[in-house]
Parts: sequence; C-alpha cells; structure tokens
Amino acid sequence: MPVRIRRSFRAPGSLAAFLFLAPFLAFYGAFLVVPLLLGAWMSLHRWELLGDLRAYCGSGNYLRMLRDPLFRSSLVHSAQFTLMAVPTITAVALFLALVMNRPHRLYAALRSIFFASGALSVTAVTLIWLMVLNPSRGLFARFMAALGFAPVDLLADPRLAMPALVVTTLWWGIGFPMVLFLAGLQQIPRELYEAAKLDHASPWTTFRRITLPSLRRTILLVLVVEVILQFQVFGQVLLMTRGGPANRTRVLVQYIYETSFRDWQVGYAASMSMLLLLVMSVASFVQLRLSRPGD
Amino acid sequence: MRRAARLPAALAFALVLLVACVVVLDRRARTRPASGPRTEITLLRMFGSCSDEYTGVTDLSRAVGECGVIQVLTNAFNAENDQGISVRTQTIEWSAYYDRLSAMYAAGNPPDVAVMHRSVLPDFVARDLVLPLARDLEDAGVDFGDYVDPARQAVTIRGEVYALPFDFHALLWHVNLDLMAKAGLVDARGAARLPSSPEELFAHAAQMKRRTGKHYLAIPSQTDPMPTWTLETWIWQQGGDVLSPDGRSARLSTPQAITALSLLNALYREGHADRGLDYARAEQAFLSGEAAVLINGTWVVERYDAQANSGAAALRHYGVYTVPTLFSRRAAWADSHIWVLPRHGHPDPRKHRAAVAFLRYLHDHGLNWAKTGHLPVRSSVLASEAFQALPHRADYEGTARIARALPPIQNQRAIQDVIVEEINATWHLGRTPAEGLEEAQSRVDEILKRAAR
Amino acid sequence: MARTWARWLSHALLTALALAWMSPLLWVILLSLTPNEALARGDLAPRMLTTAHYQTLLAVSQAPRWFLNSLLVAGTMTAATLVLSSLAGYALARIPFRGRNGVFLFIVAGLAVPEQAIFLPLHRMFAELELHNTYTALIAPRLAGPFGVFLMTQFFRAVPREMEEAAELDHAGRVRTFLFIMLPLARPALTTLGIFTFLYAWNDFLWPMVSATDPDMYTLTVGLSSLQGNFAQSESLGFVMASAVVASSPMILVYLLFQRYIVRGMALGGVR
Repeated sequence: MPVRIRRSFRAPGSLAAFLFLAPFLAFYGAFLVVPLLLGAWMSLHRWELLGDLRAYCGSGNYLRMLRDPLFRSSLVHSAQFTLMAVPTITAVALFLALVMNRPHRLYAALRSIFFASGALSVTAVTLIWLMVLNPSRGLFARFMAALGFAPVDLLADPRLAMPALVVTTLWWGIGFPMVLFLAGLQQIPRELYEAAKLDHASPWTTFRRITLPSLRRTILLVLVVEVILQFQVFGQVLLMTRGGPANRTRVLVQYIYETSFRDWQVGYAASMSMLLLLVMSVASFVQLRLSRPGD
Repeated sequence: MRRAARLPAALAFALVLLVACVVVLDRRARTRPASGPRTEITLLRMFGSCSDEYTGVTDLSRAVGECGVIQVLTNAFNAENDQGISVRTQTIEWSAYYDRLSAMYAAGNPPDVAVMHRSVLPDFVARDLVLPLARDLEDAGVDFGDYVDPARQAVTIRGEVYALPFDFHALLWHVNLDLMAKAGLVDARGAARLPSSPEELFAHAAQMKRRTGKHYLAIPSQTDPMPTWTLETWIWQQGGDVLSPDGRSARLSTPQAITALSLLNALYREGHADRGLDYARAEQAFLSGEAAVLINGTWVVERYDAQANSGAAALRHYGVYTVPTLFSRRAAWADSHIWVLPRHGHPDPRKHRAAVAFLRYLHDHGLNWAKTGHLPVRSSVLASEAFQALPHRADYEGTARIARALPPIQNQRAIQDVIVEEINATWHLGRTPAEGLEEAQSRVDEILKRAAR
Repeated sequence: MARTWARWLSHALLTALALAWMSPLLWVILLSLTPNEALARGDLAPRMLTTAHYQTLLAVSQAPRWFLNSLLVAGTMTAATLVLSSLAGYALARIPFRGRNGVFLFIVAGLAVPEQAIFLPLHRMFAELELHNTYTALIAPRLAGPFGVFLMTQFFRAVPREMEEAAELDHAGRVRTFLFIMLPLARPALTTLGIFTFLYAWNDFLWPMVSATDPDMYTLTVGLSSLQGNFAQSESLGFVMASAVVASSPMILVYLLFQRYIVRGMALGGVR
C-alpha cells in the first residue's frame, strides 16, 4: 500500500492533474471559451435578438462599425471617460495613500472611510449621486447656494456631465488603487528615508527622489488596471445620464447594450463586443508585462 | 475531527448544501404545478408602482391616476373573477420598459399579458411575437364594432387584430387659470385664451412675464421626448410631415421642421420656458405655480385635477385644453396604449384563457381608464353620460379628431431617440435648427433602411 | 512646536475631508428616515425621524426575497469558486504534467476577456437551454472567471516544498496532501478570494439584469434598481433611499469587518 502511494507521487501527474483541473476547465470551457467563439460567430451575421433572423454577412458588421458615427462617438466617449477618470483616480489615490500611510488609529479609521464606498453596488452609488447632484434639492446645489452660486444641473450640462460621472466613479472606486499604493509604500525600505533625513532633504525632495521612483511600478500598474476598469464603464452612465445630454456621455458598452436590447441587432452588437475584447486584451497584456515580478 | 480536516470539510459541506438548494429550488420552480386550483398569469406594465398606496384596494372609485386605476382594476379582477385567476403584476419604469420586455422575450420568459404602445407594435408583429386576438376576444364577448375606427386600425396589421386598444393619448396644454387670469389671458367665461399663431404665442408669453413674472410654459425637456412630440405637432400643423407617407424616408430637413424647431428654441431662448427642466421638475414647476402652461399628455389630467382640488398645491384653478393650432392645420401628437398577449414557446391553454378573460375585464372597464384623462376608444364609453360628466372633457374632446402619429413602421423608438438627441444638440452643441434637423434626417433615413432590409 | 501644530492641522484637514467623503452616504441615510411631508417641504434637518419607509419596503416589495436570492447566489458562487480554484490552482502549481505551462497560459488568457464582451452569446446559450430565471443561470457563468485559479496558483507556488515533502514521508496520497496540508495552509488566500467573490457576486449588475427577468428571481441589486425606476417619479423619495440603504448596509458591514483580508487580497491580486 505505502509503496503504491509513493509511486503515484513520482508518476507523471497527467491523470491526477486532469482530475484536479477538470471541474474548473468544464466551467471555463462552457461559459467563457464557448461564448467567446459563439460571439465571434454571431458577429459575422445579421442576427436579431428576437425573431429568427440569422443571415451570414461576413465582415458586414465590422465594415458598418467603421461607418457608424454613433459607434465612433461612443468609442470616443469611453476613451474620454477613461482619460479623465484614470489620472484623477490615480492622483487622488496616491495623495490619500501618502498622507494616510501612518500607523495611527485615526488614520486606520480614515482609511476605512475612503475604502467603504467601494462596497456599494452601482445602483446604490448612482442613486446616492443622483440625489446629491439634483439641482433643486441636492446636497451639491445646497452647498453652491450657501456659497451664493446659482444651482447647476451638472448631469444636464454637456460639458459637465462627463466630469460629474467621473466624480461619482472616483467616490466609488478610490479604495482599490489607494490600497495598492499603501501596499507599495510599505515595501519601500525604511533606510532610504532615514538616509534622506540625515541628508536634511526636504519632504518634497524625499518624495521626488525616493517615494516616486520606488512607486513607479505600482503607479504603472494602477494606471493599467484602471484603464481596463474604466474603459468598460456602463452602469453609472446608464443609470445617471442614459448617454445624454445631446449624446455627450453615451459609452461603448451602453451602445452595445442598446444595440442589442433596444434595436435587437445582436450580431452588430457582438462585433462591437469583439472590438472591446481586442482593446481589453492589449491592455491586459501590458498589465501582465508590468506585473511580472523582478524586471 | 482533526484540526486540519475542518476547513476542507466545511468547504465541501457548504458547497454540497448550497448546490443542493440551488438544484432543488430550480427544479421546483420549473415544475410549478400547472393544474392547481388557481391560474396565475403575469402582467407586465409601465405606469409606475403604487402598490404601497393601493395594497388590497378593490374599490374603483378610490383609484386616482394611471397607476392607481390599473392597480385597483387588477386587484378587483383578482378578487372578483370566478375562474380562479390571479394576475401578478410586474412593473417596469417607462424608459426601461421595452429593453426589459425584449430581455424577457430573449430569455424565453415573456409575460402572459403586456401593455404596449401602438408605435412599437409593428416591431413585434413583424417577428411574430404577439398573438392575433380577434377570434379569442370575440369569443370572450368583446364587440370590436364598438371601437372607433382609428383605434381598430391602430391594432390591425395586414388584416389581423393583434391587440386590444385601451386609449388614445395625446399632447394637451395644462393650464393654471389663476396665472392666466392675472396675466389677462382668460375670456369672459373664465376659460384660457390660447394663442392661434406663433406671434400671438410670444405676445401671450411676454404678457405673462410682464404681469406675473412667471414662465408662460413648462416643457419637460432635457432628454424627455416632450419637445420631440411638440416639434412633430407643429410640423403637422404646417401641413408638413415627419416621414414620407409610406414610411420609407424622413422628412425632417424641411422648411416646416425648421420653422417648428426654431419656434421651440426661441421660446427657451427668450426665457418663456426653461429647458433645464426634466419631467418631474416641469411637473413641479406647474403644480407649484411657477409656470402657467404645462405641455404634457392626457395621462395626468385626473391627477392634476385632484391636486388642484385638494388645496395642497399652489395650483388652484386647473384647466386643460386641446393643443392650440398655431399654424394652418389642426394636429396633435398622439399614441395609444394597447394590450397584447405575447407568444410563448410552450403555450399554456389555461393561462391563455385566463389572459383573454383579463383583457375582457379591461375592455369592460374602459370608462375607468378614461377617468385618468386618456381618450376612450369605445363609442359606447364616449357616448356615456358618466364619461360626459367627467371634468374638463369638453375642453379637449376635440383632440380625438386631430390626433396624429407616425405611420405604422418599425423602429419608432430608435427614431424618437434620434430626434430627441438632435434637438438636444441644437441646445447644447451650438447647432442651428437646420443643421440639427439635417443630421436627424440622415440618421433616421439610416434607421428606416434597416427595417427595409 | 511648529511640527505639532502642523500635525494637528493635517489631522483636522484629513478628518474634514473624510467627513465630506462620507456626507453623501450619511445624507441618504437621513433622507431614508425623514417623513414624506418633511421631504416634500425640502427640510434639510427634519425634526422627526421615522422608520415608515423601511416598513413600506418590507411590506410592498419583495426585498426580503431578493435578499435571500442574493445570499444564495453569492454564497454558492463563493463556495464553488473556492473549491474549483483551489483544485485547479494546486494542480497548476504542484502537479508536474506535460503542457502545464500551456494550460496555465490558456487559463490566464481568460483574464483579458471582459464580461461585457461575452454576455450576449451567454444570454443566447442560456435561452437555448431554457435556463434563464434560474439560480443556475445566475451562478454557473460566473464560475468560469479565471481570477481565482490565478490567485490560488500563485499562492500554492509560494508554499515551501518542505511542507509537501514531509507529507510524502508520511506516505500521504496526493488527495490527502491537498486536503489536509495545502488547503489549511491556504486559509488566508481562500478567505481573501472568498470575500472578493462574495462582493463581486452581490454587486453584479449586467448579467442578473438580463438573465433574471422574473421578479421572483431578482437579486437585491436588480430588484432595487427596478424599485428606484418605478417609484422615482412619485413622492416616495424616502422609500427609494431606504431601499438603497438596505441594499448597501450588509456589504458595508462585510467590507469593514473583513477589511484586513480585502486589503491583503487587493495587494496580492494587484501587485502579484
């Protein structure tokens, strides 16, 4: 008996490995690989959500994407949102991590506060912010009124709607990058700071010469992770502006959703999903390269 | 138990237990007894939720407004019917309604009965998603002859009846008579004097502002379709059209459309209306006496009347009128609520019969629905004394004769969204009405091509 | 002296910032406790508080049922993810077999597939199987995500070899080694993965929205978004706010209670 067990340890583990991997691979294959292939297949068809239209159209959907101004603008809006949200979130998270990176009970409590809003679902977050930004009785309007300004309806203003969505997202999602920065800060060797102190370096110099270079990789990582996250923005837009005003905030995922569930053109929506996949793959590849330890 | 074994054991136990729950619950839900004593059917509708206010209420006289009436009608049907039918309501907000209905269809789980707008019926009929109804309804005792011609035509496609018409709803002008009187815009009988030309509209609006300091108009704007419906109304009033009569191309880049949109935008620009108002805030502005006229539909007449009578709102003397004719012809945007029976993959004859019985009940209570302010679709209701006795009806009964809608084509929702967006673009992106309408024209043409393919 | 002052100042400024950060949440809680009449008047600080909105919520909505749905879905998804991921992660980290790197890459590549890119074909598949509006549909597609496997593989790789060799000397089989040595060692990683999966499942929006169309099958997130839409126009503002509070509080509780693990998990998953 013992002998057999010993042998099984040495034997090539193909069967054992298969048995350990099979349960996950079954789900992975059925609900990730197959849908991916089916999605690619659908993208080659004029395929309707309801009814039974399925007509092969080759690259038709992809060509239509090139000509479709709405697709173009939704892609641009997703990119705009990403460009606004990612640097803001990264900078604010870095700032908060820097000022709160102290072993003090007060700071532990404050960290929890900035962190807790991340637990909310998108429905709750948007509801809260719709109320806050409500021009007639929102918190923001009251604040503005107290300062003597006329209330502004941020979500109805074509220039301010997107920034308002960014602020909402910032409030919601600051916790994750902040934690990454805190983890990164913990890894900076203490000696570096002590050496700086001996040199009478100013706080600003210390930050520029020690903290920032040590955090370089974390910053890059946060940037990429946030790009991946924010490019897929959907819930906030659907629930707060529905793409308005004047189509100024309609983003790619929302357009995919509308194309399939309002216009029923699932084939076309699938081809846009494929493009989203492409963009995300490139970003993920960059992320993997960045997060590989020791280079 | 060995300490090391605790974690794997707990994990395995939790997983087995939870999966067992899932399997058992899913199985039970799928084999829900089809032949119980009661037949449960699902009803999908908009009109909002008011279940908190009307829980268990079956007294039809207590219901106010669309939501109240349909909720109490459903409650009453559940209580009164002797066939053991219970109708379970699922409510979805108006703006997400068709997306969610589409998702239900796509998930293979459409409701047993659903309300729809006439304007979307062509999309569903073209894909064979709703059942033809004439036979079943006539067998259930519904006399289609009693429905007025336009209502019957609205639900008939290629000779088949696909829905039970429930109302016509149209734009109206809701008026605060106190403000009008203060501005000197009432006649000897105390009725509002409404403009009969764009020039007069501006004159009245200026007079309102001068004498009361209030806005003449409140229009739900922002991304609301109300400006679009107003625009369409004014295009039709000039003898123009939104689409070609065959529905194959748009007619939005026309002098009539430009005149209509310029008029609308001038009202905002000159401070006679605030385009920052959404639906809720426009309603609020009207009810709190900040605006003299609210452009809104038939669906709110009873509610505003009740508000005015309650004394709780700043609005005290409420009037409501057919949309005034500002140009050469009479026209007002209109649509229609209709009831359909979605086609199921596995039809259940008992549920089908129950659904037909419920439609018959709704048919019988057309008067209750008309109380909300909607225009009735049955001649007998129109002629009834009870209907004639409803308040304000004399002031807008003419609306039924001038109601206009787009021709019965597919993708009307997408078309409406385009026009809303392009009107928005003239407000926010500095486009002129002509530019915005040209853009709308080409985008709508693109959508129309899609249906033709 | 000046340093102490500076420190106090920074304490005060940060505390103020944190309070401002929290204010939307606190304000919404206040609104949910404000009587309708006071809301209609637009009072900023109501004199009387009421729990009426919470009572209405329990009475007229299916919120309790949605809560149980969310609990069942999130719980099952969590348990299943832990089991599947630790099994697969162990094999990838510790069982030598041909093509191991290939399989690992194949699975890691899945990290690049966003949910939004495949929800349409998934929806189609479940429609063909007539499985929408079941718990199975809410749970099963979510078990395909490779993040857990990735995390557990990384973790098992980092466990020193000696632990296993000791087991080998004890003549323990592969299964026993996995169950009784490796799994207990992985407790911190499993806790982290578990909390993450649970939070993700609880807040999931797009998939439950298109798959669960029967109110009986709504999760709390979807159910409350339907309430918000339906009651938004009416005067039931406090009611809508109460629904938001009810939806949020369990998660905030989980978040604060398990903060340590979540932080560690984020650092693990992000820094790798």
